[in-house]
Amino acid sequence: MSDYAIIGKRMPRVDSRAKVMGKAKFTADLKLPGMLVGKIKRSPYAHARILNIDTSKAEALPGVKSVVTGKDTEGVKWGVFAYTRDQEFIQTQKVRYIGDEVAGVAAVDEETALKALDLIEVTYEELPAVFDSMEAMASETELIHGDFPNNINVHVNIDTGNVDENFKKAHYIREDTFVAPEESYFQAEPYAIVARFDHEDCLEIWCPNGGPHMKSKPLSNAFKIPLHKVKVRKIAIGGAFGGRSEICPVDYICALLAKKTKKPVRIQFTREENTIATRQGHAMITTHKTGVDKDGRVLARETTCYMDGGAYSSTGPIATSVPFLSMEQAYRMGSVRYNGYRIYTNKPIRGMIRTHGRGFAAGLDTQLDMIAEHIGIDPVEIRLRNSRQPGEYTSTKSYVDSCAMDETIHKAVEKSRFKEKWGKLPPLHGIGIGTNSVQTGFPMGIRGGSQSFIKFNEDGEATVMSGVVDNGQGNDNMLVQIAAEELGLLPEDIHLVSADTETTSSDPGSYSQVSTFVGGHAVKIAAQNCRAKLFKVASKVLKVSPDKLVAQNRLIFVRDDPEKSIPIKKVVRISLLNFNSVNAEGGYWPKVDMKREWVKNPYGQMCEAFSFGTTIVEVKVDPNTGQVEVLEATAAQDVGYALNPLVLEGQFEGSIAMGGQGGMLTEYHEWNGGRCINPTMLDYKLPLACDMPPKINNIIVESVDPKGPYGAKEAGMSIAMSAAQAYSAAVSNAIGVYMDSFPLTPDKILAAIKSKES
Amino acid sequence: MEKILITLNINDKPCEVMVYPNDTLLEVLRDELDLTGSKESCGEGVCGSCTIHMDDKPVRSCLTLAMEATGTKIKTVEGLAKGDELSSLQQSFVDHGAVQCGFCTPGMLMSADALLKINSKPDEKTVRKAIAGNICRCTGYTKIVKAVAHAGNSQDHCPDCITFSKAKE
Amino acid sequence: MRLPRFEYIEPINFEGALDLLYIHKDNAKVLAGGTDLLVRMKKGLLKPKIIISLKALKELSYIKKDDSYIKIGARTSIADIIASDLIKKEACALFEACEKIGAVTIQHYRGTIGGNILQDNRCIHYNQSAFHRSGRQPCHKDGGKICYARDASDRCNSTCQSDGATALMALGANITLVRKGTERIIDLDNFYTTDGIMPFAMESNELLKEIVIPIQGGKSSYKRLAYRSAIDYPIVSAGVFLKSSDTSKNEIEDARIVVGAIARAPIFLAKASSFLKGKKFNDISAFKKAADISMDNASTFAVHNVGSTLEYRCAMVSEMVFQALKEAAIVTQE
Repeated sequence: MSDYAIIGKRMPRVDSRAKVMGKAKFTADLKLPGMLVGKIKRSPYAHARILNIDTSKAEALPGVKSVVTGKDTEGVKWGVFAYTRDQEFIQTQKVRYIGDEVAGVAAVDEETALKALDLIEVTYEELPAVFDSMEAMASETELIHGDFPNNINVHVNIDTGNVDENFKKAHYIREDTFVAPEESYFQAEPYAIVARFDHEDCLEIWCPNGGPHMKSKPLSNAFKIPLHKVKVRKIAIGGAFGGRSEICPVDYICALLAKKTKKPVRIQFTREENTIATRQGHAMITTHKTGVDKDGRVLARETTCYMDGGAYSSTGPIATSVPFLSMEQAYRMGSVRYNGYRIYTNKPIRGMIRTHGRGFAAGLDTQLDMIAEHIGIDPVEIRLRNSRQPGEYTSTKSYVDSCAMDETIHKAVEKSRFKEKWGKLPPLHGIGIGTNSVQTGFPMGIRGGSQSFIKFNEDGEATVMSGVVDNGQGNDNMLVQIAAEELGLLPEDIHLVSADTETTSSDPGSYSQVSTFVGGHAVKIAAQNCRAKLFKVASKVLKVSPDKLVAQNRLIFVRDDPEKSIPIKKVVRISLLNFNSVNAEGGYWPKVDMKREWVKNPYGQMCEAFSFGTTIVEVKVDPNTGQVEVLEATAAQDVGYALNPLVLEGQFEGSIAMGGQGGMLTEYHEWNGGRCINPTMLDYKLPLACDMPPKINNIIVESVDPKGPYGAKEAGMSIAMSAAQAYSAAVSNAIGVYMDSFPLTPDKILAAIKSKES
Repeated sequence: MEKILITLNINDKPCEVMVYPNDTLLEVLRDELDLTGSKESCGEGVCGSCTIHMDDKPVRSCLTLAMEATGTKIKTVEGLAKGDELSSLQQSFVDHGAVQCGFCTPGMLMSADALLKINSKPDEKTVRKAIAGNICRCTGYTKIVKAVAHAGNSQDHCPDCITFSKAKE
Repeated sequence: MRLPRFEYIEPINFEGALDLLYIHKDNAKVLAGGTDLLVRMKKGLLKPKIIISLKALKELSYIKKDDSYIKIGARTSIADIIASDLIKKEACALFEACEKIGAVTIQHYRGTIGGNILQDNRCIHYNQSAFHRSGRQPCHKDGGKICYARDASDRCNSTCQSDGATALMALGANITLVRKGTERIIDLDNFYTTDGIMPFAMESNELLKEIVIPIQGGKSSYKRLAYRSAIDYPIVSAGVFLKSSDTSKNEIEDARIVVGAIARAPIFLAKASSFLKGKKFNDISAFKKAADISMDNASTFAVHNVGSTLEYRCAMVSEMVFQALKEAAIVTQE
């Protein structure tokens, strides 16, 4: 369907060779001369006042090089927004969750560092603690943060007007509440960081990150050094899934220890630390009230959600909004009122996660299925009657340009034979559908755009510089593919320099599904600008105008007369001999409404493109044990345009695992007070190869977005979310009970079956 | 507590190394011998990222003392390729898109390689069982399973092997 | 995660190991596969001064038939047991239990049957890092006086999650424990205590040498439930043994029902077992009844400490026993 040479092909990833050889370096693999081992002293109490910290014994221990506490931080605080800056990098006054940072140690080896932690004496005065959002709002004990009444951290209110009037017109109204506890990222790589101050007093950092430029700016602020002196380096990253996007205290502490000791310091988290002291997903209690007309079209909706945000703000305002935004993008809803509350509790900090709002979304879809049953249509039909259409505005006034939501539904329905199976499956077999939409980027102000620089080397190969980071999803390959396509080179001719804040320009980071759309776009433009320079020179040699030229397979040739050609390498050399530069830059800034703000003004253009996904799964439930066997999953997503189907399929399949199999069946955190009792891979049940459905059908739908590079949008999250919805719908369908508490563990399923029988 | 000199046979080469009794094989491989391909992800024998071979059998190196590894034949992910030439399993992982973040990949390869040694043409169910002790958070396992199942096959027989040279449908 | 420091000793034979245990007693721990011991040490639950590795004791790795007994060396790998036709035929419950232990990659080399049946009891509040356990009072098993799994409990309620133990107990196995100069044989029924802190009756100078399963001509089965298909401990399990009468093939002469992962030790359910005596092999309702009796008797021991919910695990006792009985009955009739 295209005449691209490299784009759209099933290209094996450029980074996979080093990874299968064990040569790819992750942060914990780094060894620098004189490197020390850092460890963090954490609060064992959920809520306590720090009365005293005595580090003298730890400092006296041979091998200990530095001990830092809150006194060394000069009171700097972290928060994604100016109005959410509520977290000291090391606590000085009080601790707010089990795991809160109270001190850091650098020592010659791990054993010594751990011993030093035990020698730090912290005197606490324990305070009453609260562990769920409802309890926290009603609590009359000491607030977790003094300036936030009722422990309400963020309140997002969206109201399109006419909600109450439209409810009055409704033919049928339902109100249902859905709950889901916290889930976690469980990236394969536990968080690790290496920091050092180099000979020019520049801070050099290696760590898994969702955006190097998102790490460098806050660190430059915290250390009061210019941005160019913070060099976040590229390193292989073992997964992010929405986490690792902002800086966290350990980044600061590691750098501070490096500064004090004048040596490189490495801090490597245990699996437990990765779970409790980075970020987790929010626990949510969501009430959807929906009114429809007699055909099942939504006239009015009111949604109220209480999110357990943990001890600090983190990405709070974004986190409070996104579950709603996903649904307002996916479905038309006449008029809507949304109240999202993010509540402080004395639990680990919650952030954005790929399955963010699984209970919110699965609840909304469950309710749609209930409504469909009431008015006598099937789940597919009610989605088609409410699905987003191209050319519409969302409830919060974002224009939706490309949109193939219906096509994803139709294709998934056809492939899964949903219509043949719906209502006709044997007892305890079920089929369910989920649909979702994800935004390609957020309004991010000055850091919303990405810029790329390309230089040709005299051997005809090119170096591409981009701030885009690869967390594991294949962004490096995406950039190489785009550059090779535009420059007329082969992927092996592209040398990628990326995710390094010293050499690359600003980029929004690899979360909010924006890497291809913005970062990839910038590389495309830079490469086109570079190619134009080559064409200018080549046109003189080939004696045709530049617009008649094509660059492909290391050659520049005349489109209508391919025999007339010149090697790109030669063009580069001619350019250089004639004092012409063969470098170029390019940038892309999405046209979003810069006045849109998460809390103060949640209306206006959110981002330039939206992706749409449909998942259908078929399950069999064991009525004796409540265990679910997933027979087949079908995932269809409007990705805009598939730059590399091989990589996309990997995203779909990984999404089914994380959003559906794990997210809806087994994954959740359990607590004893504020203590997470399943922080490890043994006790938190991630799906294994044997747990997964034997068959996953991937359907790539291409709406070719007019603004996306080659028409591409997003491909990491729509399926993860719709899979959660589809799994829940399929189980409900199998047992004949609409489930309202997620994930759907065997005990809940068995209880539902029993309650239905009695 | 003093370090003890031991000899380990790693990737067909004898290595002399000083270890503490409480050093795990994983720590010695990574910290003393610079073989950082084997990863620590859970540290308690669950995730399989540290899987290596001892006498051709897959073993968790995070729960194996270095001292206990003496006298055995150890193979790590670094020993799979012959120089620059990837093993057919490694190549199959690349071609099938079985690698995403790559952190679980070395352990996954070692578990799969051990399977292929005793069963060169495993079906997908057998592969899933053989890698059940290796957690991958990125891929959903589908492409890994295909890569292992087709590692010994001529690539023409596998529809997922259509790579770069051929256009998408 | 770093292991605490210890001295490592590798005796060259069984006698050498016994000598070391005789000398070091409580200060020493025996290392077989390490999948249980080393994890506990990493979490700071155990800090032995000396580790005695059984690595060189190849003599403890065997499966053999001796008259009407199957004898298994304590250091035999789980994989060897799975691969044994003898075990599959005469002690199917053990085969099924071993298949479920860890994952293929653990069974091969590191996991041993001795290690499996001597694994310490577990509890989601106890098997945690030193950090997790700080900032709160230590529990009974951790040297304190509190139980986090059951309010106001004056004793430890940890759970035995060994697959091997439940299956072997159903098979009526006994074990041989040796210390310098003497050895004793003890039925598994008597070996497992009801003390969550010290879950088996074994002296610190003793070494497990052998597991002996009587070949009784009956059929056995093992069923377990876990959240995940591998690398997971059972949240409830059942091992059963059924023997037909010499005179009537369709009549149950002897039955043994053992339930695991629900209490401090695998529980032999005498009442449910004897209920089945004289019943027919195709009497499904008798199996159901026996399963329900099992549930009633076992549930009283259960606490919420190994994941899922208490109600669910108790309900599943009945289901696992029922499934195991059905399977054993079908195999018998084939």
